This record gives sequence, structure tokens and C-alpha cells, in this order.
Amino acid sequence: MDEEFKDYIDIFSQDGVLLKQAPSSFIPFINAIGTIYIWSTETNDGTRPIKRFLEWKPNDVTIDSDVQDQEWAVVNTVQKRSRTLSGNLPADHYNKLRSLKINFEDIKRVAKKNRDLTFFDGSSEPMCTLLFQHGDCFYFIDLLKTYLSVGPSRRDKNIFIVYDADSPEYQELNKTFAALDIKPNDSSFWTMFKNIKEHPYESSLMAFSKVSTYVYRSVEPGNNDILLNDDLQRSLSEIDDNITHSGGDYELVQKPPQLPKRKEFPRCKPLREEQWKAQFTCDGKLEDVESIKTLIFRGGVSPKIREEVWKFLLDYYPWDSTLAEREALVIAKVQEYYDMKLQWKSFTKAQENNFSDFAQRKSLIEKDVNRTDRNLDFYAGDNNQNLQKLNDILMTYVMYNFDLGYVQGMSDLLSPILMLIGNEPDAFWCFVGFMNKLISNFDIDQAGMKDQLGNLFTLLNFVDPFLAKYLETHDCANMFFCFRWVLVWFKRELKQEDVMRFWEVLWTGYPCQNFHLLVAVAILEHERSELMGNDYGFTEILKHINELSCHLDMDLMLNKAEGIFFQIKEADHLTDQIRFIVGLPLIGNHCTDSHELIHFDSPDCLVSSESHPKCSVDRVSISPDEISFDKSIQSNFL
Amino acid sequence: MASNKKVLLKVIILGDSSVGKTSLMNQYVNRKFSNQYKATIGADFLTKEVTIDDRTVTMQIWDTAGQERFQSLGVAFYRGADCCVLVFDVTAPNTFKSLDSWRDEFLIQAAPREPDNFPFVLLGNKVDLEPRAISAKRAQQWCQSKNDIPYFETSAKEGLNVEQAFLAIAKNALAQQNQTVDLYNEFPDQIKLTNTQRPSNGSDSCAC
Repeated sequence: MDEEFKDYIDIFSQDGVLLKQAPSSFIPFINAIGTIYIWSTETNDGTRPIKRFLEWKPNDVTIDSDVQDQEWAVVNTVQKRSRTLSGNLPADHYNKLRSLKINFEDIKRVAKKNRDLTFFDGSSEPMCTLLFQHGDCFYFIDLLKTYLSVGPSRRDKNIFIVYDADSPEYQELNKTFAALDIKPNDSSFWTMFKNIKEHPYESSLMAFSKVSTYVYRSVEPGNNDILLNDDLQRSLSEIDDNITHSGGDYELVQKPPQLPKRKEFPRCKPLREEQWKAQFTCDGKLEDVESIKTLIFRGGVSPKIREEVWKFLLDYYPWDSTLAEREALVIAKVQEYYDMKLQWKSFTKAQENNFSDFAQRKSLIEKDVNRTDRNLDFYAGDNNQNLQKLNDILMTYVMYNFDLGYVQGMSDLLSPILMLIGNEPDAFWCFVGFMNKLISNFDIDQAGMKDQLGNLFTLLNFVDPFLAKYLETHDCANMFFCFRWVLVWFKRELKQEDVMRFWEVLWTGYPCQNFHLLVAVAILEHERSELMGNDYGFTEILKHINELSCHLDMDLMLNKAEGIFFQIKEADHLTDQIRFIVGLPLIGNHCTDSHELIHFDSPDCLVSSESHPKCSVDRVSISPDEISFDKSIQSNFL
Repeated sequence: MASNKKVLLKVIILGDSSVGKTSLMNQYVNRKFSNQYKATIGADFLTKEVTIDDRTVTMQIWDTAGQERFQSLGVAFYRGADCCVLVFDVTAPNTFKSLDSWRDEFLIQAAPREPDNFPFVLLGNKVDLEPRAISAKRAQQWCQSKNDIPYFETSAKEGLNVEQAFLAIAKNALAQQNQTVDLYNEFPDQIKLTNTQRPSNGSDSCAC
């Protein structure tokens, strides 16, 4: 063994390769980073065939602290894996060198998943999985293809099968060439064919030129020749499929399509009282709703007029209503509120005892009311009347929508509304409006949340594929670490004043549907170097994201998110999947993404999307010239 | 080798809403109590280093949302757990009744290798409050019926028994992890057998 080892030369090496899965003797090195080598006997001197093997060596013999921090994940990996030893275990003295070696002859299959390469021998258990941290395993694969007779599996283009000389596939490959009726003694052709298999990239172009020359020279018109021609086409396409374009599978990863340059969208001043008042006609109807919404989107609302504006934004007051209509509406709505409140207020103790669904909801509300924003003066102290109002509104909401009842997070959504609108019935109806916008977040099966987190990943993958791939390879593609962000629209992440500003901006429905997901994308992108630079896994990412709470620069995030929206909108490769999420019209260009997160023809999906602020593209009046537009509106108001 | 390795124990706290999961975790890790903790949304964790039998281990204690409908998220957080802490409120009988479903749900979602031997610890919290609805005896009976789960009566508010309970949790988690490693170490022998059965591995090949 030692002697043989001396005869080998290093023909390739690549650093930054993480050992993800390996035989049990390599447990201490799972998740360690190392270097991958390909060794080969120096020359083919004809006396014995060329032998090659690949070797993975950890960079450091000691396990670094990062790896230790991931210990729980390591334990998990261990539990899941079983019987991974193959015939390629290092001998004891090699074990001391702590390197993993795999003989090329033993590789029967190579599976590529993102940046992971898994090597299989004949058995179903993998020999090892290597993660190419820098995302560039393409050169390595190309090199493997040069040395092994590999072709993509028919079932999965990311699985490469190593063909044996006597395998049917190999025979078939040979047969197609034989069908060309090329003379067996045409040694130059067979040499070329052999080269194609051994050195696809170097030889394929040459092969093409020669094959086509052969065709042009030898194929004359005639019936037989049509058949011959078919065979030739098949052969050519086989070469094409197996060799020439095999690197094309990774084109997207290698060179992601570029988004247009991101523009800056500085935030503006909040909508002022005089701007707001100037918009009403003499009968109290808003004149230019779109301009108002645009201004709110750009800068929020001045606290002075916030209460009134929120009633519009939360669909309590119809945007096209007159003052008289609103006054009549309020009278009816106040009555309706107290009717519903009376329903639960008048329950007897016996009724409650016999109505456990109700009692459970009541008990949960009581518990949560007592721990909602108690740090704020408005809800501080014992026997605070505002807590009673919070409780009563949530209880009345249970009567309003008993099927949904009360779900944790709802008290967070109500709290700022009640703080602003102290009046109980008004606050209730505004809360109803807010709930209507994100009711699917509280689905009993969490389907709405799962859809949204899936959509978030899809958007991230479009905007920052590298970060998305990183998350995917670190078991984070479920985006669960963004759960709190999405469930209560960043309520726990922002200070109270910022929450109010942020929500009113989002309630406008501008510049697109699901804009809160683009804000999430903006934050993740902002944190990308922190997440990837520290090689964080799921645990560390969750911690990091949770600790961003109250440290987010909301204006910066809104600015970035808007920039991202216009990048998406103007991207040449914009897919229907992305269009669907942000509410742009579909153009029949279905998902090119590998992640099936949205099912376009699912009626459920369409129904649930109704709860999101809809905004057709025609209504999106915001453009990169938006700021000047904004300024012109402001100057009109002055 | 194992004794030199830094050990990380993953502990999951489960139980109904408002039984004191966040408070127990914070009392144990930070020795602090607040009645202003908000309802947990999603999940969070705190870590604490403890010494058990001269070994320093890091406990990673996971706090999750208590409402039933958020359980479907569990699978992401329960994975790789070494111990599960079930919590109920001794003054709220319903929180005791839910213990079975919390335990079952955990076993389904975390899918530990040996569900019958997976370590659980039960905490009856809020013993500082009156009136008491679940007696220690009743809780202990439940524990006995579940393969003798250790039981502790705690008060996160007063820090009563919290330290002792988490020490027991750490010990159980560590024992679980050692067992897992032992199980795992049995594999090489098994696989060497299959190795020798491979005729294709001739002596002239590079058996690296």
C-alpha cells in the first residue's frame, strides 16, 4: 500500500470541502473542513492500467470549535445513518493519517445535490458525502467525467452512473455508433470514440467535426440512408446528452442570471395632517386615494392623523365613503360590536362548563392578555383597564369568528391598534380588518404559514441564489427561523413606534402583494455575510435572527425591499412563480425553479391569497421616478 | 476520546401555553424571573454550561410555543433532542391532562431511535400558587406509568427546585447521548462483514 502510494501523483486538489457523511471511523471528522485530492499513477506504461483514487483530508487534526458547536447536529447525523462502511475503509495506518480514500474503481454512482456530492459503490449505502463549501464542484465533476465513463441517470440528471464495459448502457452507446456502419478497421474513428469517453471535453468538438465530415462524405440520398441518418442523429444526440452538455445542468448555479441594478428608494416624511385634510371633498370623500396610499407607503402617517387613517387602511371605513356614510356605518358597527360582546358576556358559568371549546379559548386569551406588551405604559400595572379592553376585544372576536377563535400572536396584532384607537368597538373593527389581511397565518394546519415561508424561500432564491443555496445546504430551506417575522408582521422585532409605521406602510398594499416577504428577503440579504461568513447552521441562524429583535433599521429595510421589488419586476428571467407571489400578471412562463412551493392551479392557493393585500400591476403607480412624483404631490398640497 | 470532546445536550421544553416554559428556562440559565415574558412565537433557545461527573457539557435548552396548532413546527426543532422536559401547571388541571399528547407528539415528530427509552422529565410548575389542582401523588403515578419518568415540583418564580430538575435533565440527556454513541460504535463490525463479501475487491486494487 505504501509503495503504491508513492507511485501516485497529485493531479487535482481543492480546499474547502466539508465531510458530511462518512464511514463510522470518521465520525470525529464529520463536518470538518478539508481538502479533496485526486491521485493517479504517473503514466500508463502499458504494463498495468492507470489507477486513480480520491482522498479527503481534514485541514486540522484537531476539531475546531465551530465543529464542536454543531455537535448536536452531528449526533443527529449519526443517528440517522447506518451501515455506511464500504470496501474503501482506510487501513489502520492510513487511519492514523486521518484521510478518507476512495478507489476510482469502486465508484459506481455519484449523486449531486446542490453542493453535495455523494459517492456510492454498488450498494445502496453511500460511501461518503462531501460538501463543496465554495459551491464549485463543477470542475471536480468534469474531472471525474474525464476519468470515469459516466453518464447522467435517465431518472435523475443529477445522478451520474459509472458504466461497466459489459453493462447494457455501455453496449447501447457502442451500438449506436456501430449502426453507423463505420468500418471496424477505421481505427482513427474508434480512437476518437474512445477519447470521447475518456476525455469528453477535449474530444467532443473534434468528434463532432469528424462525424459530420463522415456524414457529409458518405451519406447519399436513398431509403437506407434515411435510416442511417436517423441512427446518426440518435448517436449525435446521445453524444450531445451524455457529454457535450452535461456541464449545462449547472449553468444556473455557476452563473446565475443577473438582476437589474438595485436602485435606492429613500424613505420620505410621514403623511401630514394638511396633506390628508386637503384630500377630502366637501362631503368628506377622499379624492385621490392612490396618491394618499402612495404617500403613506413612502413615509407612513403622522401620529396626529393616524387613528383616522388607520380606519381606512384597515377597511373599517370604505375608501370611497362620504362622511355621512361613515357616521352611519359607525353607529351600525358599534351596535354590532356590543351585540356580539353581549353574547359571550351573558354566558352563565354552567354554559361555559358545558362548552369546553369556548372555555379553552377564554382561558388562553386570559393568559395571553396578561403577558402582552406589559412593558409598555399603556398595558402596565395591575387592574389596568386597557388589559380588560384587550381581553374583551379578543373575546368578542372569538364570537365573531368562532372557527378561528383565538390563536397566539393575535394579541400582538391587536395591541398597537388598541393603543392608538382607545375606543373598544372601533379598535375591534380595525382589528378585524387586520386579521382579514393575514388570517391564513393562523390556519389550524399552519398551511398559510408554510406557504408563506415557502414563498419567502422562492423569493430569496430569485434575489440571492447563493444565500438560498447556503440555507438549503444547511437544512434551513424551511425558513422556520423567519416564523415570528411572518406570523405577526415583525411585531416582535420592532419598537412600538416602528411597528405602527411599518404596518401602515404594508397595509397600503404597495408596491406589491406580499411586500413583507421582500422585507424579510432584504433583512436576510443584509445579514448574509454574518450568516455565511460564520458558517452558521440552523441553530445559529435561528439564534442570530431572534437576536435581531429591536435592532432592525426599519427605514433601511423598507428602502432595500422596495429596491428588490423593482429588481424583480424588471428582471429578464422573471418567472410566473415569482409573479404570482408578488401579484404581477402571469405570462404563462411557468416555474423554472426546482422548488415546488406554489401550485398555480390549486384553487386553495388562489383562495388563500385573497387574504393578502391585492394590488394589480395596473395600480402600481410607483416607479423609479416615484420620489419626484411624491415631491410633486407634496408641493401640490402646500 | 469521548471525554475530551465538548458535549452538547439538546433539551426540548414542552407543555401547554402559560405553564412556565420560558420562565423555567430563564430561571435556570439566567436566574431571573419576570412576569412580563411574552407568549413564545416560533422557538428560541438558551445555552448553559454545566459540569456533570467532572465533565463539562453545554445544555441547549429549547423553548417552544405552547399552543397546539404550532406543534406542526416541532419537527424542525425537536430533531436531535437528547431529552424532553414536559411541564404542567399544578394549579391548572387541563395542562396535566395534555401531558400524554405532548409526549406522544414529541415521540412522533422527533422519532427517537428507542422511543420507550427516550428520557423525559416531568416538571409540575407554579407550586408557589394556590389552589393546587394536581397532587404530587397523581403526577408521580403518571410518571410511573410512563416508564418511571423523573418528577420535580418547581417554582420558576421562586427558583424552587429548578436547579435540581435541570441537573437531572442534563444527566438523563447525557446518558441518552452516551447510549446513542455506543449503539453507533457497534456498526463498524457489522460492515466489515459485508466488506469481505465483496468479491470485486481484488488484492491488486487500491484498497484505500
